[in-house]
Amino acid sequence: MAENIGESRKISLQKSAERLTEEIQSMANYKNLYTEIQKLVASTAVKREDFKNTLLEVLKNNGLETEIRNTVFHWVRSQGSLSAVSEASTEEVDLTYLKKAQIQWERRIQKSLNSTCNELNVPLARIRPNADREEVAEKWNELSTYDIDLSQYRPLYAPKDFLDVLFSIRNPSFKKQPNELNWEFGHIQIRVKTLTQLVLHRHLYVDLTKGMSLLGVNPDMPSSENFTNLEEERIYISEKVLKSNHAPIAQEFLKRGAPRALRGRLWSLVLGSTVKQNDLEYYEELKNMVLQYDIVIDKLIIKDVQLTARNDDQYFVFEDVLYKTMLCFSRDSEVLAPVTTDRSAGGQVIHAVLQGKPATLENTLVFPPSGVIPFHGFTMYATPFCYLYDDPCAMYYTFRAFYLRYWFRLHTVSSHEQGIVALCLLFERLLQCHEPLLWIHCRNIHIQPVKIVFKWIMRGFSGHLPPEQLLYLWDLILGYDSLEIIPLLAVTILSFRKENLMQVNNQQSVEAVLADLSSLKVVPLLQLALLRE
Amino acid sequence: MASSTVAENKRVTNLNVSSHINHSRKVLNIYRVSASGTDKTKVTFCTDVDKSVIVHNFEKRGWVQVGPEDDWNFYWAVTQSCRNIFSVETGYRMDDKQLINHFPNHYELTRKDLLVKNIKRYRKELEREGNPLAERGDGPGKYLYLDFIPVTFVLPADYNMFVEEYRKSPQSTWIMKPCGKSQGAGIFLINKLSKLKKWSREAKNPFNPNLTKESYVISRYIDNPLLIGGKKFDLRLYVLITSFRPLKAYLFKLGFCRFCTVKYDTSIQELDNMYVHLTNVSVQKHGEEYNSKHGGKLSVHNLRLYLESTRGKAVTEKLFANITWCIIHSLKAVAPVMANDRHCFECYGYDIIIDNDLKPWLIEVNASPSLTSTTVNDRILKYKLIDNIISIVVPPDGVPDVKWNKCPPPEALGNFELLLDEELAAQEEKEYSSGKYRSSSSKWK
Repeated sequence: MAENIGESRKISLQKSAERLTEEIQSMANYKNLYTEIQKLVASTAVKREDFKNTLLEVLKNNGLETEIRNTVFHWVRSQGSLSAVSEASTEEVDLTYLKKAQIQWERRIQKSLNSTCNELNVPLARIRPNADREEVAEKWNELSTYDIDLSQYRPLYAPKDFLDVLFSIRNPSFKKQPNELNWEFGHIQIRVKTLTQLVLHRHLYVDLTKGMSLLGVNPDMPSSENFTNLEEERIYISEKVLKSNHAPIAQEFLKRGAPRALRGRLWSLVLGSTVKQNDLEYYEELKNMVLQYDIVIDKLIIKDVQLTARNDDQYFVFEDVLYKTMLCFSRDSEVLAPVTTDRSAGGQVIHAVLQGKPATLENTLVFPPSGVIPFHGFTMYATPFCYLYDDPCAMYYTFRAFYLRYWFRLHTVSSHEQGIVALCLLFERLLQCHEPLLWIHCRNIHIQPVKIVFKWIMRGFSGHLPPEQLLYLWDLILGYDSLEIIPLLAVTILSFRKENLMQVNNQQSVEAVLADLSSLKVVPLLQLALLRE
Repeated sequence: MASSTVAENKRVTNLNVSSHINHSRKVLNIYRVSASGTDKTKVTFCTDVDKSVIVHNFEKRGWVQVGPEDDWNFYWAVTQSCRNIFSVETGYRMDDKQLINHFPNHYELTRKDLLVKNIKRYRKELEREGNPLAERGDGPGKYLYLDFIPVTFVLPADYNMFVEEYRKSPQSTWIMKPCGKSQGAGIFLINKLSKLKKWSREAKNPFNPNLTKESYVISRYIDNPLLIGGKKFDLRLYVLITSFRPLKAYLFKLGFCRFCTVKYDTSIQELDNMYVHLTNVSVQKHGEEYNSKHGGKLSVHNLRLYLESTRGKAVTEKLFANITWCIIHSLKAVAPVMANDRHCFECYGYDIIIDNDLKPWLIEVNASPSLTSTTVNDRILKYKLIDNIISIVVPPDGVPDVKWNKCPPPEALGNFELLLDEELAAQEEKEYSSGKYRSSSSKWK
């Protein structure tokens, strides 16, 4: 029996290895790696008589071994959907109605996009006219001065609209009164964890629960070793981590918070988004694509930056870099595949024919090339990275990697454990379990609890927490490689403001109690909540 | 499916609601205290600045508003009324229970020409004493540690000295500011001596005799400012002084950066475009690009986060230490000439520009920093500022008293941090060198 298991493990390992060797060839830095290894093989350090050992030795000394290990790490991460070594369960339940809802939702967005074009009499896509191209090229670094009339453009949808879509989802196997409004997501059968599970069974958030000293509580906290304070200690260790260049070590390190000065590099290492030569070239290509084509999404992007970052006292100084970032993102076809093949996607892609061209294959493009249609607040997924990187290119790749790992499931009707539906469900369960009085209070005053926190969850708190606190939160997302911390924080905040919430009885006052999060300290709050368990 | 942008505004209105709730609750508390306690110590205040951030803060403490002719304990005055009170002709005598928010000759610090004069004198004095702080740097007129204001001359008095300096680097740009004006009024840039000559000819025009009376300062223009998002900014920091001799100074931690609305551009065509060069909100708010939601203001806290993340911890810490340094030495420079009246305290608005090498430059000091709120956050900030100032200058029992030792307990500081208290520092030094230190060290033997 045991032998059998051993045997089957061996087979599956072999299969993985085969897949890895095949798929690694299509990864972005494969070419670089391959050239580097070829160079090494040709060098005198590698001996013909002892090829394997000498090669391995050289790879190690050269740092290439670490590179390869990191590449495998990123490959594994891209395979195993986020911590979704799921405890079966989901397969037993038929969730096709969620898929259907997503398909409908995608159609609705597309329809709305088309009607925008019709109303304003603009094409979905066209070749950018010369004069316009020159202007965009010239103003590339200060697109805030690119003066076009956007008064007629409206965001296609806002988080509120999306929440309405989620509320209207019906589980066909769940019987209830025909006109009863969906009060919560309890009828959707996605398994989410309990707080105890979050802490114990999955060994999640262990550092938070054990009362380990974390950055983000008090930087002057005494250190266990010979450092003046905790911050000094963390800086010392993170320099060592960065030197080792091992992505998994960096990920582990982030669980206890990154020092400001090294956070950008740590994040890039964990996400494999460190900029290399070919990335610079690709970024330049994206820019050229923006210059070459004029798509209606551009207007929506510019409008969104104007509506969000431009008016935000934390981010307005970064307005110009955000235009570039978001425009390039829309042209990035490397985003398309992971976004559309995920099981949370409906797989509906628009194809646009360039205006005034015959509808041939070469005049048709996936619209937008990234496959992502922005909504009101989409820019907020990128804004926090402005604090980490001065270089727009470095900022772009880390933002993109973060989006592809986490954010894209927050604006689709997804059955994924890390999708918005599961996170809302987790929020409800946690609230119901740990703050039953608050839950009942919400019920009594007819406010769906999710409604209060949905905008936080959908944006990963971006724009709601001050940048520094937000970065500590995102450290934890990366460190534990999970978005579950977001609903957990949402519950914690409600719990923290419980007294005031219990005293009010309408949506407006509830929002007033929760409007200003500027005084919150994320890490101590989470610690408080988890230590109680 | 069209969404509204109203959502973005909601935060604004909500904040109003919550701060009002807060406010009324605190008022209630105060009344409760005064009702049960001594009624005769009712504190009175007087102000000729009709700003809600000021009046609310006093009323919150249960203080009663009276006119300037009445018996007031606390006067939040404009500089002119303050000058009247201290003038010999008025003959007003303040008693021990009265405080006022300006020093009689604050202009030693806040007039552009006098500040420069005082700093130059301070450096010379230190040099004469052989103080290592006054060590000379490369080139004439340079100091290694005390070079925190741009090279500046007073015009017309120092015209010849200016020309001499100008000739050393004729390519440089200079900035002209009228000494007695504020908020960016009357400021212009010059890059040619001929332009200055032309200006001076016009100024001496007999038909416009007012202009000749006015003196100007001309300073080397910081033409390599640190830019964020391509835009120039300066820092507005609030510094509270409760005494000049001994010096007691506090820095408000919630300072902010004020950004220009237009990209920085040193080209000659833009030399006259003040939206590029001047960060004053009073200037910028007339610009087309001015945004009334954030008013071009970024918190110093966020600036620090950005700098530490993108430039590193050591250089950022050095920058902020240098900022503190330049504040303290500007204060030490004026301390000997200040009339250190014990009824007075003052909150100064420091304007500092950081250059691209992360060196801070003191540009000027304002005696009456604007209490006008341009945004919601601004109002919250200024409300806290006034609140914290009052708790520092008023003794713990809540009644103004000049006999108090002006050592507020740590919890009274709020968002202020102590920059320097010469009295405390001297005490500590004494303790350090005398018995206490020795006895504590002997314990270890």
